[in-house]
This record gives sequence, C-alpha cells and structure tokens, in this order.
Amino acid sequence: MAHILSVRNLHVQFTLRGRKLHALRGIDLDVEDGESLAIVGESGSGKSVLNKNFIGLLDQNGSVTDGEIRYYGMGDKLRHYPGAGVDENGSYIDLAQFKKNEDWLRIRGSEICMIPQDPMTSLNPLKTIGWQIAEALMLHRGMKGKMAYEETIRILEDVRIDNPKRRYKQYPHELSGGMRQRVVIAIAMACNPRILICDEPTTALDVTIQAQVLHLLRELKEKYNLTIIFITHDLGVVANVADRVAVMYAGDIIEIGLVNEIFYDPRHPYTWALLSSLPQLGHRGEELYAIQGTPPNLFKEVRGDAFAARNPNALVIDSLQQPPYFDITPTHRAKTWLLDERAPKMEAPKQIGKIRSLGHPSAPADAGKEAEHADA
Amino acid sequence: MLKYLLKRFARSILTLFFILTIVFVLVRQMPIEGYFPNFEKMTQSQIENGLHQMGLDQPMVVQLIEFYKGLFHGDLGVSRVYNRGKPVWDILKTKLPLSIQLGSLSIVFSMIVGLPMGILMAKRKGKLPDHIGTAFIVLIQAVPAAVYYLFIQLYGTELMQIKLRFDPADFRSWILPVLSLSLGNIAYYAMWIRRYMVDESTKDYIMLARIKGCSEGRIMFRHIFRNAFVPMAQYLPTSFLNTVVGSIYIESLWSIKGMGGLLVDVIHKQDNNMILGIVLLFACVGILGLMLGDLLMVLFDPRISFSKKGGD
Repeated sequence: MAHILSVRNLHVQFTLRGRKLHALRGIDLDVEDGESLAIVGESGSGKSVLNKNFIGLLDQNGSVTDGEIRYYGMGDKLRHYPGAGVDENGSYIDLAQFKKNEDWLRIRGSEICMIPQDPMTSLNPLKTIGWQIAEALMLHRGMKGKMAYEETIRILEDVRIDNPKRRYKQYPHELSGGMRQRVVIAIAMACNPRILICDEPTTALDVTIQAQVLHLLRELKEKYNLTIIFITHDLGVVANVADRVAVMYAGDIIEIGLVNEIFYDPRHPYTWALLSSLPQLGHRGEELYAIQGTPPNLFKEVRGDAFAARNPNALVIDSLQQPPYFDITPTHRAKTWLLDERAPKMEAPKQIGKIRSLGHPSAPADAGKEAEHADA
Repeated sequence: MLKYLLKRFARSILTLFFILTIVFVLVRQMPIEGYFPNFEKMTQSQIENGLHQMGLDQPMVVQLIEFYKGLFHGDLGVSRVYNRGKPVWDILKTKLPLSIQLGSLSIVFSMIVGLPMGILMAKRKGKLPDHIGTAFIVLIQAVPAAVYYLFIQLYGTELMQIKLRFDPADFRSWILPVLSLSLGNIAYYAMWIRRYMVDESTKDYIMLARIKGCSEGRIMFRHIFRNAFVPMAQYLPTSFLNTVVGSIYIESLWSIKGMGGLLVDVIHKQDNNMILGIVLLFACVGILGLMLGDLLMVLFDPRISFSKKGGD
C-alpha cells in the first residue's frame, strides 16, 4: 500500500507564559492509504496535538518548529494548483509549511476531516441537521438546492439515521447523543475526505452506542476506502477497529506495529506497562497494575528514554541517550535500548502473555465489563 | 403559539391594570395646594368647588371606576393644566411622531455603526481595533451623557453652521441630535455583540465548522454572528422603545417638541390625566418591548418554543 501521509521528524512547541513546552519531539509516522491506525497513549502524550497538525487546528500559541507533514492524497490537483507547501514535482503537499488559514481550506474537509470528541456540543444549535450537512456538500461538492437535499438524505441513510426526511428538518437539541454523533459523521462524509481523524469518537457515548458507532465507522471505511486515524486511550476500541497501533509517550511514538504485534508481542517497557494495566489481566483479590510516577515534564528537555524514570528495570543508557527505532519485523518497530543486541535479555511481564488467552484482540472490550463486575 | 400570545396578552392587561391603579392612587395623595396656583387667596368654598369640578371630592373608588369607564371607551380625559381642556390623547398624538422618528433614526444608525464595530472588535480581539473600540465604549459609559451631549451641541452646531434649536424641516438639524442619541446605543451594541461573538467563537461547533472547511468569513457571519445575535435580539425592541420615549435630556437640550421631559413636566403641574395617559403609554411600550423581544428570540432560536413545554 502507498503512503497517504508521511510525518518526518515533527517538532511542535507551545509557548506558555514565556516558557516553551516541547509537545511533539520528532515524530516519524507513515499512514497507509486505506488503513485504520489507532494512536494510543495517556492524556498529554501528544495524540491530539499530533492530529491537530494534520488539519491546522493547533492552538494559537503552538507552532511547528521542525519537520514535515507530507500529504500524498491530492494527486493531479497539486500540479494544476500549486500553492504553499507543494513540492516541485507536485507529488505531495507539506502541511507543515502552511502559514495562512487560506492554505488550509484546500485540505480541511475535502482531504482530511475530523470527528471531534463531543457530539453534544459539536453541532450548531441554531441550524437544522440538514442545513449543516448540506453546507459541507455546498463547500466541497458545489451542490445546491434539490440536489444537495437528495444527497443529504442519502448520507443520512448512509449513517443509519432512520426517517431522514424528518431528521433533515430537526435541530441538534431534538436528537440524542448517539444520533448527534451520527450527524457529525454524516457531515464528515458529506465532505468526502480521504482521511478521517476520529478524536476519541466514543468517549462521550454509552457502551451500546459506542459499539454501534464503531461498527458504522468500519462500514463507511470499507464503502468509501477511507483512511481512518483513531485517537483513543481505550484499548478495547483499538482492538476492535485498528489495523495498526501507534503508542505515544511524552510527545513521541515509542512503538508502532500491527494490532496483533502490539497486543501479543509488545517490546517497549511503556507498552508493557500500558497493557499490564488492562483490568482483565489482573488477578482476583489482587490490586490492579498501575504505572508508577508521572509523565516527564515537557517544559524541560527530556534526556534519554522518556519512560526511563518510571521504569523500574531501566538500563543505565536509558537515562543518557535516546534510543533509535529498532525494527522487529517490517511492520513493527520500537524505540527502546532493550532491542539493541548488547542489551540484557528482558522478558515482557508474565501477564502480557495472558492477552493471548483472552482470544481475539476484540475480547478486551467485553472482558473488561466482566472484570469490573468481578472486582466489584 | 397563539395560545401563548393570548395568555401573555391577558397577563399584560393585568399588569397594566396594576400599574395604572397604583399610579392613580399615588397621584391622588398629592397635596390639594398643588392643584391651585393661587391656593392661599382662595376661600374654602372656592376650593371645594374646584375639587368638585375635577371630580376629586368623590370617594377614591368612585373616581377609579369613572377613570376605567373612560379608558374602556378609549377616553383618557382632558388635560387640566398643561394644555387646558385639550384631550390627553390629542396632546400625545402630536408629540409621539417626532419622538418615534428621532428614535428610529437613532436605532438604525446605532445598529449600522455598533454591530460592525462589535464584529470587528471580536474578529481582531486583543489587537488595535479591539483596543480602540474598548476605549470608545469605556469613554461613553464613564463620561456622563450630559457632558458629551453638550459638547456635541456646542461644537457640532458651530462646525455645521446651524442653529442650536432643532428644526424638523431642516435635515441638517437632525444629524446632531440623532448622533447624540446614538452614541450610548452604539457602545451598548458593540460591547454586547463583541462579547457574545467571542463567547460563541470558542465553542465546539465552530471548530467543526472549521474542520468542515468553512472560510473564516463564512464562520464569522453564518455561524458566529448569527448565533451571537440571538441574545441581542431579545433586548432590541426594549432598547428601541426606550430610545423613543427616553430622550428627555436631548429633547430639552435641542428644544425638540417630543415626548421627552413631558412626564416630569406634568407631574410638577399635577395634571392627573396627563400623568396617567403618559404612564399608560410608557407601560404599554415597556410590555410590548419585552413581548417583541421574546418573539424575536423564538424566531431566531429553535430551542425556544412557546407551544411545547420542556425538551428532551
């Protein structure tokens, strides 16, 4: 498969009260056309900041200080309409070069679209559902009047909203949370993007609706050959929808691989710790595993492996020098000195092996509920 | 909707009844001396005769019933002092049009200037236009209106080479009073539309509009301004009507023969029927303003509905 998005050595800094916060520290990431990639990591690891770069929604005080974000999805359009960030051959456009808001207008919606976190507040309260979907049709596909109306109805059916003709005229406050999330998805689909970023698409929804929305996203992905990037900290969602998983820690991707590789053969101590904290891996009667300490302060320069301070088995070199990527398989690589041939052999924690016994990766989502009950 | 309006109308009538009754009782607590300019020289029988002529010697309840009987037939009675013998409504009728014209012009002007000013301030928040606008608003709010009214009158007329006295036939004569009347409203509109727009622009749905690919101009007008205007809409009718009837100082300053100052004048003169007539007018204006404001809200905001109770 071809890359649709290539991030190279991306650094993003925020200025907060005169101090520099190094939010992204040299991200390298390739997104394949048509895949679904999950980006996991704890709050503040930079998942959202990374994705906001793809759509130009970085907060005012943040800026790209180094690196490239190459977008390959525009094809011939670039040769005919050069502009900021377009390379000489017109083969890609570098989003990191964008300075003005106008530059983003050719990307937002039509090429890369995003589903924001909270469906309850993401719709304009004073406009009908239909108007809001038709607006996207008008902006990106030049549709108006009856044509836009019919296409809107079709999209509403596409996102499994019943009675679309009635819904067209309704206002957001007349719909439930799950319905509103579907409308937001419908707006995204009306834009007809190549890449869809889902920023924790299910956190604001209850469990049954979560499953429905994920199912819908999977369906749409197949139907329209979408590339989906999920931002989440719910490993159940990851197992459910992702082809590949990128694990972020302190503004860097420390391990990336196919979903099976990450769940069954994790290599970075942080990924071990993250997976070990799945409640379904705990023993009845014992305390659940929790990662000790707090993430590093990104106002200060991070030296060596960012996770070293919280890793009880850290090597000496971990606190001295940042590890490079080590390839495990062609699809799986991790940034940890443990993969260096000189490193002592260290086994993944025992309980990680139990993930396999949970069966298909999608199991954690359901097993999680049982574990909760058992613990209660 | 219709049911709500009828209910609202019935309640307005009740409100009017209370206002008029209270004012009616209050004006009759004023000293009898006030009714007669040469009270000291009058004999007891002359006074009684005078009171009898005005119907003031009857019990309060009877007077009140008589008043409402008249009102029911659309008769506000006649002026006793202000314009002796002339029906109250005829007096008001000559004064209202001028005030309405003046007020309407001022409101239109305020909106034309105030709203774009607020939009610009919101768009360039924290930058120069915002600072200039804020300075203007603070100045208008902090300096007593009378000061800049005088300033405008004195220097404005000199600059334009026109008379201090208002002349309805000369259009140049309208400019300065309208400007004076507008300054407060301009500051008010600019301040609130800026504030509401800044509020709206940080909301999640604006982010979605941006993600969708809306240009900043489209976001500004189709999403932010439209939504910020809703809370403004509620106060527009009230502010309009207040401007029409409340330009007391400006009208006396320019000797404009409008409604302003009339109420104070007739209270001094203890012209009971005039007082009640003007109070009735002002009360109607106030109630109507609130009602129109609520109607505008319904028109602009689908979440507010008169017919259904509650939401989901």
